Amino acid sequence: MPTAKADKRYGRESVAEAATLERMLYYLKLTRAAEYRIERVLYRQGKIVGGVYVGRGQEAIAVGSAIQLAEGDVVLPSHRDSAALLIRGFTLREIFCNWLGRANGPTCGRENTTHLGNLKLGVIPIISPLGDTCPVACGVALTFKQSRKKSVVLVHFGEGTTSRGDVHEAMNMAAVMKLPVIFICNNNAYAYSTPTSLQYAVKDLSVRGPAYGMPGVTVDGNDVLKVYATVKEAIVRGRSGQGPTFIECKTFRMTGHSAHDAAEYVPRELLRQEEKKDPIPRFEKYLVARRVLTAAQIQEMQKQIEKEIDAAVAFAESSPLPEGTEAVEGVYCGSDCWWKTTRTSGQASRNL
Amino acid sequence: MSRRNKVLKRGSSAEASNVIRPVKLTRSQLREIFYYLRLNRRVDEQLTNLYRQGKVVGGVYSSLGQEAISVGTAYALDPQDFVGPMIRNAGAMLVRGYRPRDFFLQYMARKDGPTGGRDANTHFGDLERGLIAPISMLGELVPVLAGVGLASKIRKQKRVALTYVGDGATSTTPFHEGLNFAAVLKLPLVVIAENNGWAYSTPVEKQLAVRDIAERAKAYGIAGKVVDGNDVLEVYEVTRHAAERARRGEGPTLIEAKTMRMKGHAEHDDARYVPREILEQWRRKDPLERFEKYLSANKLLTEKERIEIEKRVDREIREDVEFAEASPVPPPEDAARPIWA
Repeated sequence: MPTAKADKRYGRESVAEAATLERMLYYLKLTRAAEYRIERVLYRQGKIVGGVYVGRGQEAIAVGSAIQLAEGDVVLPSHRDSAALLIRGFTLREIFCNWLGRANGPTCGRENTTHLGNLKLGVIPIISPLGDTCPVACGVALTFKQSRKKSVVLVHFGEGTTSRGDVHEAMNMAAVMKLPVIFICNNNAYAYSTPTSLQYAVKDLSVRGPAYGMPGVTVDGNDVLKVYATVKEAIVRGRSGQGPTFIECKTFRMTGHSAHDAAEYVPRELLRQEEKKDPIPRFEKYLVARRVLTAAQIQEMQKQIEKEIDAAVAFAESSPLPEGTEAVEGVYCGSDCWWKTTRTSGQASRNL
Repeated sequence: MSRRNKVLKRGSSAEASNVIRPVKLTRSQLREIFYYLRLNRRVDEQLTNLYRQGKVVGGVYSSLGQEAISVGTAYALDPQDFVGPMIRNAGAMLVRGYRPRDFFLQYMARKDGPTGGRDANTHFGDLERGLIAPISMLGELVPVLAGVGLASKIRKQKRVALTYVGDGATSTTPFHEGLNFAAVLKLPLVVIAENNGWAYSTPVEKQLAVRDIAERAKAYGIAGKVVDGNDVLEVYEVTRHAAERARRGEGPTLIEAKTMRMKGHAEHDDARYVPREILEQWRRKDPLERFEKYLSANKLLTEKERIEIEKRVDREIREDVEFAEASPVPPPEDAARPIWA
């Protein structure tokens, strides 16, 4: 599955229906705007405590891949893939309540970044030691294989994570057992402050695919249509029992590692260059040129998104913080625990 | 390197005719290699006897059929180089200066053994001999030897670090992390992947989905090479070449040596899961027989010389077994002594 071939076969026009294209733009813009609010507004106002990890500049990877998942499929996002959470059905209210540590957020205020998961939505939360989700992805895929389901698993990780043994063990296991896993490397050029030249000694990480006996493809991760086309082919492979695929999406981390990090170690010139490759304006230009949307419609979409975010932020800000006594709830015990049955707060937030 | 170079053309022997390349080894070096192969095999056979006599407690891990890899690789190194052997690399330890008695003492847990009776296996090493002790968790030696390579690089020494993994160990975390680390920093590391077909009872087809382990080299951006692990001269030559690359600062090499584990995982395991006909096929490729035939066909070893070497090996084994059996077992109060200090 070499890149050039994949690109030719999926001419940009044939890549997706207009409705899907519009949804992709919506989620790109929604993710960008929500994360802007989190990183550049709420965090700086001191309303978010702790680290803030966003995927600015690399939203196209999560959007182009998660948008294609069907019911029953599972995604294991990285901390820079909130777009996948939104696409799979997490609401803005849930996202903001969680960041603001509110009692009615999905983790009831116990965690305040993106460790969000919901098996009904087919989302397994990130594990902070990156790479640990890869063997988990294999486990999920193995159950699909054993129960003869046609579902697939998407797992995202960064290029820094590829140096970890978990990724190695998982990719090898998936290849040997022909598991329906799509390994997506969000190669954003920096693992915290480590550049790729200190991370690996190959040009494209996709060469690792064949080393395990699976196809490996490198794509422009800032081109949502290329991501879409490549993942589409990988999903077909996965569903038809042909095993895993490794996709390296080249992109660039347009922020520091976290909101506190000015990333002075990243050459400014490089940032300026990468800024020009921003996936959103590129995709907008394409949509306008293809007459899928007009510039006015896109503006309207942006306004709508801002409104949605305003409403969700207002809801989250007016939500209560958890009681100190709730901190130990949900730890080591389930809903039938005496502690839980005698109290009413701290319920999961699926109906926000 | 002080070894006198004499180019020999290989291939006149019908058994080993598939590879024809010049090997820069003198006649006496070739005989020395034959000696070490023979010694490795006899140490193995003797350990099996001692185990069956109930004198060895615990596992005995045989290198039967894989001697050419241990001996060929270790022989290709220079004195300042470092080796991190696995449990099946007794041959490498012999080449680096350990004697048969060290193995017998060790396996019988005697006081005079390298670990003073605390370990009944090959977990012993000696920095003076450039030997890092085996770590039972296979693959773990890769980052350790990468560390040796890093020290060598920082100190601008011409020291090469060489270690071994089995086909099973290539699926482990440290193999990947160690090799990637060495690749990025271009460390003087040589990793020998001994593909003996089985990781305990797991066949290699269930271990990886590619034909050659050497394919993995591309994933790290390093050199990769497949060799016939039962051809000691090919093993020697490819290792020598990899070590020279490493010394020139050209980074690590992954060498896959294809071979076959001719016994069970350890002496207790009769390996009934291995199809008998596969073993039969490999028996015909025995590395000792092949090398012996090659040497005699090329008139590099006379019948008289061969018998002399074999007699010498037998004598050394006999003396060392006697020495080991006469050595006392350690007093119980020794058990905790050299721990933490």
